[in-house]
Amino acid sequence: MRYLKEVLQSRELLANLTLREIRGQYKRTIFGQLWSLVNPLASMLVYTLVFAFIIRVQPEAGDPSGLDIFAVWLLCGLLPFAFFSNVVQQGMGSILGNVGLVQKVYFARIVLPLSKVGSVGYNWLFEMGVLVVVLVICGAFVWPWLPLVVVTMFLLAVFAAGLALILAVANVHFRDTQYFVSIIMQIWMYLTPIIYPISLVATQSDKYGGLFGTSVTILDIYRINPMERFVAVFRQLLYDNRWPNPQDFLLCAIWALAVFCVGLWVFRRSEKGLAEAL
Amino acid sequence: MEIEHVSKKFRLYHERNQSIKSAIMRGRRSVHEDFWALKDVGFEVPVGSTFGLIGSNGSGKSTLLKCLAKIYYPETGRITYNGKIAALLEVGSGFHPELSGRENIFLNGSILGMSKKEITGKFDEIVNFSGVEQFIDQPVKNYSSGMYVRLGFSVAINVNPDILVVDEVLAVGDTEFQAKCAQKFVDFKNEGRTVILVSHSMESVREMCDSAAWLSHGELVKVGPADETITAYLESLPGASAA
Ligand SMILES: Nc1ncnc2c1ncn2[C@@H]1O[C@H](COP(=O)(O)OP(=O)(O)OP(=O)(O)O)[C@@H](O)[C@H]1O
Ligand SMILES: [Mg+2]
Repeated sequence: MRYLKEVLQSRELLANLTLREIRGQYKRTIFGQLWSLVNPLASMLVYTLVFAFIIRVQPEAGDPSGLDIFAVWLLCGLLPFAFFSNVVQQGMGSILGNVGLVQKVYFARIVLPLSKVGSVGYNWLFEMGVLVVVLVICGAFVWPWLPLVVVTMFLLAVFAAGLALILAVANVHFRDTQYFVSIIMQIWMYLTPIIYPISLVATQSDKYGGLFGTSVTILDIYRINPMERFVAVFRQLLYDNRWPNPQDFLLCAIWALAVFCVGLWVFRRSEKGLAEAL
Repeated sequence: MEIEHVSKKFRLYHERNQSIKSAIMRGRRSVHEDFWALKDVGFEVPVGSTFGLIGSNGSGKSTLLKCLAKIYYPETGRITYNGKIAALLEVGSGFHPELSGRENIFLNGSILGMSKKEITGKFDEIVNFSGVEQFIDQPVKNYSSGMYVRLGFSVAINVNPDILVVDEVLAVGDTEFQAKCAQKFVDFKNEGRTVILVSHSMESVREMCDSAAWLSHGELVKVGPADETITAYLESLPGASAA
């Protein structure tokens, strides 16, 4: 409790560090904030070309929205995952990247990874704003679902923050972590139904049935992945325009809370040793 | 402020190789030697005094200051004090090179625990004291090391700490700025605040400090009035008898 209070007292510092990240990010670039759109746009083009045009992956049309555009369907999953992956990777490096501060000044160290959540989240908000505009232009009736989208975004941010806290500590002690995690993130993306619909996994899973004589199917194992739930909820809200599946939504909340608590606990325990270990 | 039986241990790894592979190869027992940078150091710093910390290189002065500033946590012993502490441990600590002096004042101030309102209120005072008005909108990476210190020091003293901890950073300031700082320390003392500083310049310690402590290889050798401690320290140095 006392720890939470200290973190709360540092919120002004957190805001300042976040601003520092945001301001410093596109300094001396001509296109500025537009750069934040370029990355997802480039991935979207490549994936659409390869998966919709060449391999001919066909996700179901949005129900009840009636949308049937692969690129838009893709973005509804790709943007949240890109946010998640960026927060985890940047948050993980935030302690190592601020050696000068950590070794010279006392402050609640937790603001370093959290400020990354803020700065990456700022970009994400911008991207999601553009996505909503695109959805509206394509004819989706997305307005009533926006409050829930924001709640889900918040949950994903909490989830990512928790993971970033754990990995930031691990990265100080084992510098391998960052390389390891960048590979894991790539694999993780392909293990999440972002560029292909989960129905393809379900078809394969049905073929094999229960594994090793139990009733556990491949699909069950596949769905342990929390990001699968997050992506599902985002698509239900943005692409389909309907109430999210309560089970999916609840699991998102539980994952977010659980991982964040573990992250907080790990970070708090090792915070005092960080300056020495650097 | 009271420092009781403070000891600080560092682990010296023979191969400082922070990778998972080396952790696994080492197995459960990690190969390291314990190095005690501070051994059972204890003394008291009277409130409202200026206190000097002297000793040769590597004797543990900076380590002790970092323990005071809560950057390191001692293995044993306790440090107790009343009030707010501000530490200036290195030139430009907490500055972001790409940001301007102005932005850095706000950033550094908030790192040191000031609110935005406080900083805005003291902004002019900070800039004035530092004497870098002309360059305040330049990125600090273009500052000279003296200017870095001036700005950093100006922010630190305007945090209004009850205890100010300064590592040997003032040495890079010019004579004018050093005189300004010395004056500031006197003001601090008159206001009943405590200053703890590390310096290799015995004259300035003698001039500014009421009392001093001498550390050698992590152990406290002598603590007492500044004059006596400095004399004892100088006498212990080889070649001192000739001087
Ligand atoms: N993070 C660390 N890990 C291992 N050893 C350390 C660490 N920090 C300091 N030491 C060791 O502790 C000892 C004391 O260092 P310290 O920086 O306190 O010396 P100092 O008295 O400030 O010296 P100087 O006058 O050169 O500034 C040194 O032997 C140093 O090698
Ligand atoms: Mg030192």
